[in-house]
Amino acid sequence: MTTLTPDVRREAASQLTAGAGGSWLVIAGQELRDIWLSARGPAIVIGTSLLLSLLTYLAASNEELNIIDQRDTVNLLAQITMALAVGVSLLFTADCVSGERERETLESLLVTPVPRGQVALGKYLAAVSMWPVLLIVAIPYIWVLREGDGVFADAMLGALVVGTLLVIGFVSLGLLVSIFSGSNRLSLAVAFFIFVLLLAPTQLPLGGWFGDLITQTNPMTAGSTFLHRAIVKEHGWGEDLDLLIAPAVWAIAMTGVAFIAAGRLRLQGSFGR
Amino acid sequence: MAQASLAVDGISKAFGETRAVRGLSLDAAPGEVIGLLGPNGAGKTTAIRILTTIYAPDSGSFAVDGIPYTKPSAIRQRIGVLPESAGYPLHQSGEEFVQYFARLFGQSRKSARETAKTLLAEVGLAERAASPISMYSRGMRQRLGVARALVNRPRVLFLDEPTLGLDPAGQRQILALISEAATERGATVILSTHFLDEVEEVCSRVIILNRGEVIAEGPVADIKRRAAPRTARVRVPEENHESALSALKRAPGVGDAQAVNGGRGLISATLDCPDTNAPIRALLGAGIPILSFEVEGGKLSDAFLALTGEAGE
Repeated sequence: MTTLTPDVRREAASQLTAGAGGSWLVIAGQELRDIWLSARGPAIVIGTSLLLSLLTYLAASNEELNIIDQRDTVNLLAQITMALAVGVSLLFTADCVSGERERETLESLLVTPVPRGQVALGKYLAAVSMWPVLLIVAIPYIWVLREGDGVFADAMLGALVVGTLLVIGFVSLGLLVSIFSGSNRLSLAVAFFIFVLLLAPTQLPLGGWFGDLITQTNPMTAGSTFLHRAIVKEHGWGEDLDLLIAPAVWAIAMTGVAFIAAGRLRLQGSFGR
Repeated sequence: MAQASLAVDGISKAFGETRAVRGLSLDAAPGEVIGLLGPNGAGKTTAIRILTTIYAPDSGSFAVDGIPYTKPSAIRQRIGVLPESAGYPLHQSGEEFVQYFARLFGQSRKSARETAKTLLAEVGLAERAASPISMYSRGMRQRLGVARALVNRPRVLFLDEPTLGLDPAGQRQILALISEAATERGATVILSTHFLDEVEEVCSRVIILNRGEVIAEGPVADIKRRAAPRTARVRVPEENHESALSALKRAPGVGDAQAVNGGRGLISATLDCPDTNAPIRALLGAGIPILSFEVEGGKLSDAFLALTGEAGE
């Protein structure tokens, strides 16, 4: 064997040691451009605007069709905006690693010196960007429909807190599933299935101890109930803080697990190859 | 002692029961182009993925530019890779694509722009730099991949089947880029390919893998000589058969001579030296007329088939 002698004086040494500390920003920037300068992001914003416009129009202008009161409508708009943001962001991260595997662009990324965690962080942040944009889109509609003191503030603040916790948790879930999925289809299907599974109870009449248990432990039902009580029942923030425990635990736990898993990001997925 | 930019010592990798790479060792000096050959499933891509830190070896070790394999991030700063099936973000322009990777290697925005401009000019894509990659031909995408692999001025460049699916002109362009990377940039190039003529053209050494094992290694000429000795087939008049046989057996540079299929007048002579005219000189010197003469073997493809065929038996 010949002797290896590291040559630290070579011309590109400065570049080699430049490090990749801010690479997550570069990746996030590229991912943000991919979302917002392509058709995907704008199409989702336009679709959400159209849906909210229709609901607002029905609620504000047609009393015969408007069978629920204004506070309920504000709550409905906030919940729909939140659910859309959660679902879309989740699908973005569910695609972010497995999609790159399928498009055969992951290997080129993995042979750069960027730590796996930073790759995941960049993609995560880009996916999360959907939430503030959709929340801003919802502002004029909620403003138009507000009725009574403090409804707008309750709705916006409640949606901001609950939605942020839920988006963080579900975006992390999407990332986690994507890291381990061998195919993009599997990743999207599993992530969407879990989303629907947790979303479904928010549309069911839950009663008794089991209903309470689901309401308290399912982050979607807990968040939805919190928002409903804050906007429709005009509860003070301190009254239902226990309902924020599940979304907060969900957000923290999923983020932690997802970023631990991101350190184990591999060229091939573990399941469904 | 020569300074190795890549030193590999007995690396192995198994996937379940399948041993993809077994005990691969090699040393490569700066500016050297090494061909990695082998039939499908021989372990070429796995070997490259180990050396590019995508897979961890089960055993053995390697170092790139003195950096041990236990520091993959530092190794990645010193290598350039064109994977076997490299995908491209089709909506991006070639310029954006190369800039993006330059930035991932720590370059500033300005420096990344300059790097992209320079590299795209080097690979002949300057005029199409602003076009979306979706508009690029396969050959252009491969050249773009080479440009991307060079953004960090790599010490070692790994190219896995870079000319697969390219037309002859595209192959030629890629081979020229490989030679430039080695000669002008001083990069060590590990070239995995199925195309043996490419290896003969640009590689100084070859490693032939079969079923994960190295079955031959060395300079191209040595491999050819060892595994596929050249043979001269000579036809002489039947009445000169015996005298021709003895003349050839005595001739310098001719290893052995024997009648082909017991036929009278047709002789096969193994050549021991690069001089293919040795049998002709011997026969003419003995006053024996030559009716036909042809040289067979001595090609890398013959050596490859001989080696991988033997190993497969």
